[in-house]
Amino acid sequence: MVTNRTNHKWGMVVDLDRCTGCQSCVVACQAENNLPINTKEFFQQRRAYEWIRIERYWEGDFPDVKARFIPIMCQHCENAPCEPVCPVYATYHNDEGMNVQVYNRCVGTRYCANNCPYQVRFFNWWEPTWPDRLRNHLNPDVTVRSRGLMERCSFCVQRVRRGEIRVERQGREPLSGERIEPSDRYLNYQRMKEGNFLPACVQACPTNALMFGDQMDDTGPVYEHFREANEQYDARHHGEHVDEEHTRVYRLLEEMATKPNVIYLKKVEKFPVGGNG
Amino acid sequence: MGAVACEGFGIREGELDIQSPVSLPEDLVRGKDNWYASLCRNCPSCEGIVVRVMEGRAKKIQGNPYYPTNQGKSHARCEAGLQSLYHPDRVPAPMVRSGARGSGQYTPINWQPEAMDRLRSELAARAPQSVIITEPLRGHMGLLVGRFAEAIGSEHLGFEAVDNNTYRTAVKSVYDQDLLPDFDVENTNFLLSFGADFLSTWVSPTRWNRGYGEFRQGHGRASSGLKRGTLYQVDSRFSMTAANADKWVPIRPGWDGQLAMSLAQVIVSEGLQAPGVDTDALLGGESGRQLLENFRPEVTAPLIGLTRERAGGDPVEFIKRLAREFAGNQPSLAIGGGSAGASNNGLFNLEAIYALNHLVGSVGVQGGVKFNPGSPWDDVPAGSRPGGLEDWSRIADQIRSGETRLLMLHNADPVHGTPDSLRLYDAITQADDLVVVSFSPFFDDTSGLADLVLPDRVYLEDWGDDIPEPGPGYQVVGFQQPVVNPLYDLDPRSFPDILLTMGLELGRESLLPWPDYGAMLRDASDELFEMGRGSVTAADAEEFWTALLQRGGWWDEAATGPSPASPQAGLLRRIVEAASNPEYSGVGEGAGNYHLVPFSHNTLQDGVHAHLPWLQAAPDPLSTVTWQTWVEMHDVTAAALGVREGDIVRIESSRESIRAVVYPTPAVPPDVISMPFGGGRRQGSPYATDRLGIESSNVMDVLEPVRVTGTGSLAWAATRVRVTSTGESVNISKLEGNVRAVEIGITPAEEIIKTIHPDNV
Repeated sequence: MVTNRTNHKWGMVVDLDRCTGCQSCVVACQAENNLPINTKEFFQQRRAYEWIRIERYWEGDFPDVKARFIPIMCQHCENAPCEPVCPVYATYHNDEGMNVQVYNRCVGTRYCANNCPYQVRFFNWWEPTWPDRLRNHLNPDVTVRSRGLMERCSFCVQRVRRGEIRVERQGREPLSGERIEPSDRYLNYQRMKEGNFLPACVQACPTNALMFGDQMDDTGPVYEHFREANEQYDARHHGEHVDEEHTRVYRLLEEMATKPNVIYLKKVEKFPVGGNG
Repeated sequence: MGAVACEGFGIREGELDIQSPVSLPEDLVRGKDNWYASLCRNCPSCEGIVVRVMEGRAKKIQGNPYYPTNQGKSHARCEAGLQSLYHPDRVPAPMVRSGARGSGQYTPINWQPEAMDRLRSELAARAPQSVIITEPLRGHMGLLVGRFAEAIGSEHLGFEAVDNNTYRTAVKSVYDQDLLPDFDVENTNFLLSFGADFLSTWVSPTRWNRGYGEFRQGHGRASSGLKRGTLYQVDSRFSMTAANADKWVPIRPGWDGQLAMSLAQVIVSEGLQAPGVDTDALLGGESGRQLLENFRPEVTAPLIGLTRERAGGDPVEFIKRLAREFAGNQPSLAIGGGSAGASNNGLFNLEAIYALNHLVGSVGVQGGVKFNPGSPWDDVPAGSRPGGLEDWSRIADQIRSGETRLLMLHNADPVHGTPDSLRLYDAITQADDLVVVSFSPFFDDTSGLADLVLPDRVYLEDWGDDIPEPGPGYQVVGFQQPVVNPLYDLDPRSFPDILLTMGLELGRESLLPWPDYGAMLRDASDELFEMGRGSVTAADAEEFWTALLQRGGWWDEAATGPSPASPQAGLLRRIVEAASNPEYSGVGEGAGNYHLVPFSHNTLQDGVHAHLPWLQAAPDPLSTVTWQTWVEMHDVTAAALGVREGDIVRIESSRESIRAVVYPTPAVPPDVISMPFGGGRRQGSPYATDRLGIESSNVMDVLEPVRVTGTGSLAWAATRVRVTSTGESVNISKLEGNVRAVEIGITPAEEIIKTIHPDNV
């Protein structure tokens, strides 16, 4: 039963200056979200499932060479190109800024994946299988997707929901279980952290390159970055100048105006390729 | 009217436009979960973890936010603990070999009386001629196995294929410390790393990744007067750490010490040392200063292969500038390990590197090297020094000569993890009068040769403790508790419990007085309680024990490591006197011959995790290759060999040859090739073995058995190999190119990963 929720707007910030490409988020996501085991054949057929992946780009050539890492997951766009093309409303935008996939509506047209510029949607070409014993660790909060369905990063909606139920509906502190006054029943960043309600990738990320929270929660790590990014978005929309040289905030493929709820912070580069090292 | 109905269902009107008012799938969250604190045993650094358990099944592993070393963070390897627990290829029950050794044919037996009787009779007959090989052990497991070995007159050795003994020896020699120090990456300004892939696999990567995030963009840095940290990585391979460095300094393999001493020469001659550092004392007078002159940048640059091209300008000026930056941006920190310590002169290299911290005053200060205190218990080891190549060579000889007649194994795979030239596999398979007992929960190349298999519980099913090494600079003890019971179809038995039972039955209870391992740890907890200090406060010992397990450990921030004494007089002089150059074994120089610089695999490490599918499928950060053993070579090298990506090459040293899948990259020195450890497992789970000989091979097989002078460790980066094309090729299994990604259309990569100059932030 869905009740009135506190108004949230979830968002993620990826600091490229912190990311080391370690793959901790990738495996954490696979563990949390019941992704099928990516076999060698999946990779060879270019059909590996990674709701979050680390792309690596080369720049330059030896010895003046760089490798750059960027974690890419569903960008949870405000103007999501995947949503209007779904004939059955299997993918839609909820009122908390999340792009949601309803598995039992999906009929597998793959229109959404074709329309996604970020290539973050994965189609189940096969029925997922696990050796019997390995099924024991499957997360009961997350549906195992059968053949013919589309799937992608959900911002670990099951964790966020657990947090909302615990804090906002039951009115209990995540750790101590103490009662929270009705006026204070808000899933803020501290409570998300204490209750393990942050997305699995964010929780695991050892460098804190991934940050998550309510964009309106000024106690959280994403607030300031989203404020800046949204100001820039509005400025661009009104044809005003944005000083790209002096800001770290950007959105992926900004020119497509998808307005993602994931924003990136530029990598700080002391010795650019081709510069004087 | 519509609005009223919506309020009734509790869904906003807007959502109803496209939603049916049944429970949405995103809201289906059911069941109660419990989180238990414990320890991860998939990383040598033993992170503190919390495990989510529902209905008696472990569902998720995360970092324990309270644990001082990893502070809630985890490595990909930690997550894969779930797959160890529920692995389809776990040894289900005790077994005895029924076919030829190594054939994999076993017959199940019961624990009581068969398995225990067999073990007891083998111990009774062969204990004085036995060797126990385990993973490196610390804490009470280290105490217990050490005591057991003493009780039965056996020898205990820890095994690690890529051991840190050279690093450990250098720490002792330069800082006079028996325990590995911590590095305060978070608070340093300038980090100069030689060969140490500390962001991926070296020593304590999760802890230092956490520090690295703060080092780059920590919120508190500005208030502490620190800028964004600068990282230089000196490395003959473009490692993950090199990829994250501001500047990668590629030098010839094994010349790291010369560069370090050259930096020291510049610092001393220009007087750049930290205030209060007595360079005369360090150099042991004028003669030491003269010796250091031999390392002038003018002399060193050409030796170490630092060309104008590689330095991005005049190499002499480059070294001078680097020395000035290193000395001028305190707190600065020099660390070394990995390939820098893996040539015959590795000990010199690491001593030279660590001595730099004395010059810039970074020993024992914030942003520098922090020493660790010992264990809170008198007799419990806080560190462990595993065996080196010397030991494994000796054990192989002992097996051949019949001197060793009983080999006991626990989570150690020396057959896979030592060079083929030791012929350990042949020694074990051909020995007439050798009994091999394996306590490992999985078959691997060594336990697959066992005569008697007594599977241990995996760590999520058993008790344990750990004194992390390196600790965070103060006393920490982590506690591991069983978070789930073994599944109904598995019948493992705790290895420490078996040892205690055997100790009792063989009449050695004076050394091993505990009824079981849980009781031993409970005694340890009571002792901690009696000390009356640290992070856990309780009214009585029972409450203390519960609180200890809830938090996942005990720590005392007041019990810090020793303060640094002033460095030994003449330290630098001693180091430069012992300076030596690397020597390469294998094939000589010539066309088609290359330096082979292996590296620990980001997730599989030296191969101990090769049976875990998540870790096989986690793309290598740089090549993005999965499941296969690849060889990194420069595009130019590949072109010269006439090979392309996916082609299979043969890699030969003077002894053996292996095959590997070519992955050309722009980021390898043209005279170097690199391969990950961890492939080529011959026995055990199909996840580890089903690609053997075609796409998976063990780089250890071709390494020359060169030792590091002074430590006896394997000099694994000192082999030169010949590379030839086999004419065969496979479809490479990698993430790169899996998605057309965002390069689709017209967006160039620079628009995907945007950068900004530090001056503009």
